[in-house]
Amino acid sequence: MKSPKSSATDAKTTKRDQPPGPVCPLQNAAANNIRQVIDDQGKLTGDLPEPDIAPEKLLHMYETMVMVRAIDDRGWILQRSGRIEFWIPHCGLEAVHNGATLAYEDDDWIVMGYRHPGVMLLRGVPLVQLFAQFFGRDGDPFKGRRLPTLMGDRRYNIVPTTTQVGSYLPHTCGMAMAAKIKGDATNFMVMFGDGSSSRGEFHSALNFAGVHKPPVVFICENNGWAISTPQSTQTASATYAEKGDAYGVRNLVVDGNDALAVYSVVKEARDMGHDEGATLIEAVTYRMGYHTSSDNPDLYREQADVDVWVPWDPLTRLRKYLERRKLWNKKKEDALWTRCKAEISAAIKAAEAMDFPTPATMFDDTYEEQTWLLQEQKAHLLADIAELERREGQK
Amino acid sequence: MTVQILMPALSPTMTEGTVARWLKAEGETVTSGDIIAEIETDKATMELEAIDDGILGKILIASGTEGVAVNTPIAVILEEGEDASAADAVASASGTAPIAAEPTVPAPAAEPAASVPAAPVAVAPPAENIPVGTEMVSMTVREALRDAMAEEMRRDDAVFLMGEEVAQYQGAYKVSQGLLDEFGARRVIDTPITEHGFAGVGVGAAYGGLKPIVEFMTFNFAMQAIDHIINSAAKTLYMSGGQMSSPMVFRGANGAASRVGAQHSQCFAAWYSQIPGLKVVSPYSAADAKGLLKSAIRDPNPVVFLENELLYGRSFDVPVLDDFTIPIGKANILREGTDVTLVAFSISVDYALQAADTLATEGISAEVIDLRSLRPLDTETLVNSVRKTNRMVTIEEGWPQNGIGAEIAAVMMEQAFDDLDAPVLRITGKDVPMPYAANLEKLALPTVDDVVAAAKSVCYR
Repeated sequence: MKSPKSSATDAKTTKRDQPPGPVCPLQNAAANNIRQVIDDQGKLTGDLPEPDIAPEKLLHMYETMVMVRAIDDRGWILQRSGRIEFWIPHCGLEAVHNGATLAYEDDDWIVMGYRHPGVMLLRGVPLVQLFAQFFGRDGDPFKGRRLPTLMGDRRYNIVPTTTQVGSYLPHTCGMAMAAKIKGDATNFMVMFGDGSSSRGEFHSALNFAGVHKPPVVFICENNGWAISTPQSTQTASATYAEKGDAYGVRNLVVDGNDALAVYSVVKEARDMGHDEGATLIEAVTYRMGYHTSSDNPDLYREQADVDVWVPWDPLTRLRKYLERRKLWNKKKEDALWTRCKAEISAAIKAAEAMDFPTPATMFDDTYEEQTWLLQEQKAHLLADIAELERREGQK
Repeated sequence: MTVQILMPALSPTMTEGTVARWLKAEGETVTSGDIIAEIETDKATMELEAIDDGILGKILIASGTEGVAVNTPIAVILEEGEDASAADAVASASGTAPIAAEPTVPAPAAEPAASVPAAPVAVAPPAENIPVGTEMVSMTVREALRDAMAEEMRRDDAVFLMGEEVAQYQGAYKVSQGLLDEFGARRVIDTPITEHGFAGVGVGAAYGGLKPIVEFMTFNFAMQAIDHIINSAAKTLYMSGGQMSSPMVFRGANGAASRVGAQHSQCFAAWYSQIPGLKVVSPYSAADAKGLLKSAIRDPNPVVFLENELLYGRSFDVPVLDDFTIPIGKANILREGTDVTLVAFSISVDYALQAADTLATEGISAEVIDLRSLRPLDTETLVNSVRKTNRMVTIEEGWPQNGIGAEIAAVMMEQAFDDLDAPVLRITGKDVPMPYAANLEKLALPTVDDVVAAAKSVCYR
């Protein structure tokens, strides 16, 4: 896996007393109480049994994970070349959200975070819709009103994510409570980062979940960093999962770079939700890239910290597993990457060809109906634009 | 010397309570600090201590008597050597006959606390939704709010109430009285003490197709939940391109209460009414409280519903109609006038109505407008009034900068500048956190005299 390097290497400091080199915790999964199916070579060495997933479903997940990686590669370049304003990288985090989404049925609800494009793709959202949002064009169902990668789509039972990290944890409880009150059997999953565990809403939501037992799986994607804040500064707890103990919420730690392990534990937690209530799953993974395009990780972490995770790349591991099962080979791999890159290029082309949202739409959806103030402002703006166009026409 | 024991007040807003139980009998000796009775209020049970040493000479209000007004003499303590005749003398002198526990005779309500303007002026409910000849019934704002919720919960199974103390305890201010009994724990939900927690759960329930009423004990505590109100409830419809909405009501007491200090006494009207995506309502009368809360619950948008603790116990005429609603976004002309327009909302309507009475005695005819809704703001009614009176004074208990009055003054400049014969004046609370001391609290709030002076000033009188 590539680990993006910053240009600002000058800011790096050399430590005098070199501590023992960093170690990837996934290497000692059993000792670290991390549930696992496959090792770094794709071999079945973990404590969890191999999940029973139909080959076509498994391959679809792998192909989606590769597409997600390819989107990140390209999105980063689009941002750095000034074609989109903002990017939130997700390189290295593909196993958590793809494995978890695969464990849910399409009519279940997913409340996603902002590093999870695979949720959209696995639910069947067209690629071009994603890029229409990144570019803020007409094909964006959100009408140019959300940052790139703050995705979601109600039509696919995916709640659009917010930048108020953690705020959507109680929302998920509320949705699950509504389902319970209405008597329907929908299941819910919410994904958030390790940093969100310090937000008050994390505690409120877990407390609520412990008392009311809603069918919610809370997935804490522990990627090691909340911007520049490492786990040691975020919490004194040994794990994020164990915080569930305080609230009476079932909890466990899973290898977040092992899509099969994520699928297994999430599927089990989902299936028991209506009887047993919520589960808090900590998925141990690593943010290989920047926090966002506004970040510079060279200011706070060593390249060696990143490098130990490279052999545990979720794509490599799953590919090796598939190759062992004779479901995959180099030829298919090369063809997949070629196809993904071509589809992305086509989606970018199609999205950039779209019109920008028309100015009149700016006033829609503030309320279910338009207030007099909105009507007045809209009329003024449209008159100004018409006048401007008239003058342009005279030149 | 005999000493009267008066019905105590648990809080400055308590007006009456129940003498639950006497723990001492007539003729028993009491020592300062002894617990002599238990008093129940709408909030809690409290123990009444003897302040003086002596003999419990006479019990004037029997155990179990409800509706005893604050400051009513309830017993007489005799000093050593005095006999019961002294107690009788005191009792008859005070004009209070012993009241039997059965049947219950409600005592008259006590005078409102010092900072509350005196007795309400009769307010005509808005005529537009009330057919001529409609029967009217007197009810408190508290009862009107409860009835509005109960009626909407009967009408629509998706409506439910959640908040601190709303179920078992019937509401910290007893607004949800009887709702748990009628609708059960599925729809009247007690939450943990976490405003950002249950406001967020409410937003999620609205996403999930229900219509939550989220009660904040007061809006002071909603500060913790303001992220959910603004960043989630108000923006979701817009940011999802119209895909998802949060039809819900955030309601509770807003504004200065009485003697509860800076962190419990502030008006959030200006805060919320700045936010696109929210509707903001702040009624004065019981009829408006009922009609507007029903509309708020039915509204497809999130509505912030700002009540006032000091108005909860006040009675107004409410029409007896099967389905009485008041449209959000419509102000109400409570009193027509020709010389100056007084604009107010919630409890500040009291100041305006009383000022109008005073002004009338001095030959100034004041028009009084109750805004009722703060967003959308009914600027049309305001502009039409100024076209007639050419003068305007706004009244609010909140702070001046960026307040409701500031907004109205700006709108008048933009839309009615040529009709104004004087600058719009604002009467507001003082620009300080609310003090606790009784005298300072009174000084920090507007007065009727302030309104009268401002009205005369814009009339150049």
